[in-house]
Amino acid sequence: MNWRNIRLIFMREVRDLLRDRRTLFMVFMMPLLLYPALGIGMAQMMLSYREKVRTVVVLGEEHLPPPPLIVEGKFAGRWFSEAKETSQLEVVTPETVNSLKDQLPENSGEGVHTREQEEYERQQTLVQHARDLQKVNNQLQKLEQEYEQLVVQERTERSEDASTEEEASSGKPAPKPETPLVELQKKITQTRQELSDLFASSQMQVLILVPEGFAEAIEKTTQLIAERNITEEGNAVSVPSLTVLHNNADQKSQIAYSRVKTVLALWEADILKERLTAARLPESITTPVNPKSVDLASQQELSANVWGTIIPSLLIIMAMTGAFYPAVDLAAGEKERGTMETLLICPASRTEIVWGKFFTVLSFSISTAILNLVSIGFTTKYMVSLGGGGTVGMLGVITPPSFGAICWVVILLIPISALFSALSFALATFARSSKEGQYYLTPMLAVTTGLTVFCASPAVEITPFYSIMPVIGVGLLLKGLLSSPDVSTMLVYVLPVLITSTGYSLLALWWAIDQFGREDVLFREAERFSIVLWIRQLLREKQATPTFAEAGLCFLLIMLLMFATMKISRDMMDPIEKSAAPMVMLKLLLIHQVALIATPALIMGVMLARNFRLTFKLYWPSFPYLLVGAVLPFILHPLVIELSQNLQWFFPPLPEQVEQTLALMQSDSINPWLLLLTFAVAPAICEELAFRGFILSGLAHHGRLGIAIVFSSLAFGLMHMIPQQVFNASLLGLVLGLLCLRSHSLLPGVLFHFVNNAIEVVRELFHEQIQSSISPGNPFVTFTETEYHYHWPTMVICFVLASALIYWLYQHPSKQAQAALKSSTG
Amino acid sequence: MGNSLRRSICRYSERYSGGCETSSRRYVKERDADMIRVQDLSKSFADLKRGQVKALDSVSFEVKPGEIFGLLGPNGAGKTTCLRVLSTVLKPTGGLAEVAGYSVVDHPAQVRANIGFMSGNTGIYDRMTGREMVEYFGRLYGINEVELQTRIDDIIEMLQMEDVAELLGSKMSTGMKQKVSIARTIIHDPPVLIFDEPTSGLDVLVARAVLKTIELLKDQGKSIIFSTHIMREVEKLCDRIAVIYKGQILASGSVKELEERYNEPDMEELFFELIRLHEAELAEQKPIEQNG
Repeated sequence: MNWRNIRLIFMREVRDLLRDRRTLFMVFMMPLLLYPALGIGMAQMMLSYREKVRTVVVLGEEHLPPPPLIVEGKFAGRWFSEAKETSQLEVVTPETVNSLKDQLPENSGEGVHTREQEEYERQQTLVQHARDLQKVNNQLQKLEQEYEQLVVQERTERSEDASTEEEASSGKPAPKPETPLVELQKKITQTRQELSDLFASSQMQVLILVPEGFAEAIEKTTQLIAERNITEEGNAVSVPSLTVLHNNADQKSQIAYSRVKTVLALWEADILKERLTAARLPESITTPVNPKSVDLASQQELSANVWGTIIPSLLIIMAMTGAFYPAVDLAAGEKERGTMETLLICPASRTEIVWGKFFTVLSFSISTAILNLVSIGFTTKYMVSLGGGGTVGMLGVITPPSFGAICWVVILLIPISALFSALSFALATFARSSKEGQYYLTPMLAVTTGLTVFCASPAVEITPFYSIMPVIGVGLLLKGLLSSPDVSTMLVYVLPVLITSTGYSLLALWWAIDQFGREDVLFREAERFSIVLWIRQLLREKQATPTFAEAGLCFLLIMLLMFATMKISRDMMDPIEKSAAPMVMLKLLLIHQVALIATPALIMGVMLARNFRLTFKLYWPSFPYLLVGAVLPFILHPLVIELSQNLQWFFPPLPEQVEQTLALMQSDSINPWLLLLTFAVAPAICEELAFRGFILSGLAHHGRLGIAIVFSSLAFGLMHMIPQQVFNASLLGLVLGLLCLRSHSLLPGVLFHFVNNAIEVVRELFHEQIQSSISPGNPFVTFTETEYHYHWPTMVICFVLASALIYWLYQHPSKQAQAALKSSTG
Repeated sequence: MGNSLRRSICRYSERYSGGCETSSRRYVKERDADMIRVQDLSKSFADLKRGQVKALDSVSFEVKPGEIFGLLGPNGAGKTTCLRVLSTVLKPTGGLAEVAGYSVVDHPAQVRANIGFMSGNTGIYDRMTGREMVEYFGRLYGINEVELQTRIDDIIEMLQMEDVAELLGSKMSTGMKQKVSIARTIIHDPPVLIFDEPTSGLDVLVARAVLKTIELLKDQGKSIIFSTHIMREVEKLCDRIAVIYKGQILASGSVKELEERYNEPDMEELFFELIRLHEAELAEQKPIEQNG
């Protein structure tokens, strides 16, 4: 690689982009203008914002006990922290309606509609609605009481029945007809719906129903308590309940109710206070513990928390968009303007061209992200200093992030920008035109936004597993560095995050270089894509083995099917009783293997490839490969076990379902042969057909075997969903892929897969016998609590043997495999 | 115009190749060594509509220094594919192609350094001036800065593109763009020049100037491939031609040789005749293929 050429290309591209008005606007003008403009807009919105008055209807105001809750058509000012808030709630009662009626001029003609008249009519209908609601509510109350009584009655009956039936012990108890209960339930649902409908159409936000004798009951209780006349059985007067109707699904009603709730709570506290005074009890009786909370957060830490949530998400999104537009201009745009070939015939190699362009995209991505952050930061700070009250004021005084935090932002911005730059550039190279390039933005933005939302979720913290995930690792690390009070706990993650992020970026860049070197990508004709033509070509002019894209499609199809049937299988498992569960689970697993994994691959093999036998490598292998397939799993087993046990800290804990499945293997109730069939035979055949058959054949279509093996094993791993299994399966997938391609047969892989899974099944089935046969001092393997521990002699022997066998495989492709390789590249 | 052009080109080559005459002579000495050698070159690629397509089917020819070799063929005949393989943009699927002794497969960088390539697909940058464009490519070819500046000045004078030098690509007319492209093609003084339909879309005046330039470059001893579908240009300019159709060379030789061989003095008629014959041959072959 010639760095002079890379620098030349970089300088030219930067100058070119800087001369482009659109790019300049996107990168520099937008952040400088957009956010202040948004800020001004927000300030104006806040100025013009007035909270609307919500309507509360109260029936039976006269039954309210003192202190007065409502004064002159409003809640009394003393129940609010700020007196002016009373005007946000309008109270309508029959009395307010009457007083309105009195104010009306006596002789107003029927056609005349003064404002007073309108108001009167409105309130009158409100009260009318309230009365209707009250009626329905009473009905509902009654029905619910009935229901409760019926339930209690039935329960006692059933327990009596059960005791008698136990004596008879005649299989399953016949289900009792539950008609009255069900009918009542139906009626309740109906009435509730009716109430809800009525409320929705009533134009009020909250309805308070005060029952008759409410004040008297409260007063009586207070008196009884004051006289110490209350016994444990509770001879107190039963206080009829005050009902507050509201609808939490309706935002207006929700807001009004939350206000009414605080008013009622304060009012209730006042009543309680009076009651305590009457009973000559201290007020503190209601708060015997009264914990005192001391918030140690300094203003700076609060700000750090805010920054920790905002900055990572913003940074990721901005780095992405900042990379995307220049990348499209530099790759697809260059194609479109007809200068791509000019560049390709210059002495700079394609790798140098990609590096030069990549650095350009990277620098634009970084500057976009930084400019946006700075602009947002300044605008927000300015807005806060302006605001004082309102929504922005709630954020309090925000101090700027510390110098250290800014350094971390800049350091971590580089790998994330690099990843997005390389990714965007590869996508943009693939696109025929800028327009097509722009289309790829939406899916990329959707995925990125999903990841940032995940990172910004308050409960999510960085773990070893997350730290090696692309984008998430950087996002969570940055969040931790910015918001956690003790940065030193985060420092362990810095190196893994940086290394893996750089790795991902290099991988993406390698993809971009690969794209740039491919004729079919660089010179894709801008012909109109025709679905009909494409399908016809797929079906009629199919090739001997599937193509790369078809292999990818097969994998996606399998994943989609698995995703779609997830719920179905869960629904099937749910109602099943515990004793029958293992059998059903086994059946489901079998169906799952055959229907979701083998069938799609086989159907696609018939439909999309000419040579079925070659696609699935249904050839008889030579003996050495079969032997390797049978022996290698035994050698790898201790290594895999030790590796996964040593990496347990790294992965999130196993989900419950997997534990269940694992427990299934140990259950004695199941025929061991059936277990072997489900866990070893079926996966060995079905998964091999799909992953080493169709998918590996397709991926190896172009003759790039290394990539084919890596991708097929990744696909094989990803199918297992759970991180641990993804890891294990991917590793085994590498060996399986090599075995398949070297032997030019599916069979050794099937054998390997079967033996590998069978070892697990047999080990679980006979764990007691195996354990008892292992003496505690065994130098090779011991058993502690739940796990086997293989010691270093075993590990060394296995490692040496496994390496030797895999190396032998690598070095010895069968004759058929060599011939196949020649024909695919030739 | 022709004379002044000749003068300035001579001055240009005097400075860099030791004079008009000597430069030619230098190449004359090596005349036996072909600068471009193409043997059984094949290129096929997958097409959505037609399946596997043979764009080039064992094409062979060679070009000597001081010679203009014309590739004549209708659109889609495989001219551009052939020249793209020579310029290392595409990789051949079979056969051999060498430029200045370097194989396009094994030494693509050296091939690119020895070649000046211009086609309808090698556009110029919109957001660069003519001078910047030529400068940029000169730097990529590794010419040192002092030499590069004088060379650019000379080329600007030679191609009479003073008005284009400070103009942005987006503001140029087609003729202006073509001048910049030619300047870009010859900035590193390569021994091999490839012009793929250099006159398409140009008015008569500019086209004539372009052809003159190519002729003068030939006089400097360059090996030149000139592809076109315009018969008159071929007759006027080329020392030898090859008629290419559906990826195959139907006939090759000097214009005179071809006229004598097919007894047809009119190039255009000759061209149609060759294609007609080839189609007839294909029609005969087809039933046999199907039977076999």
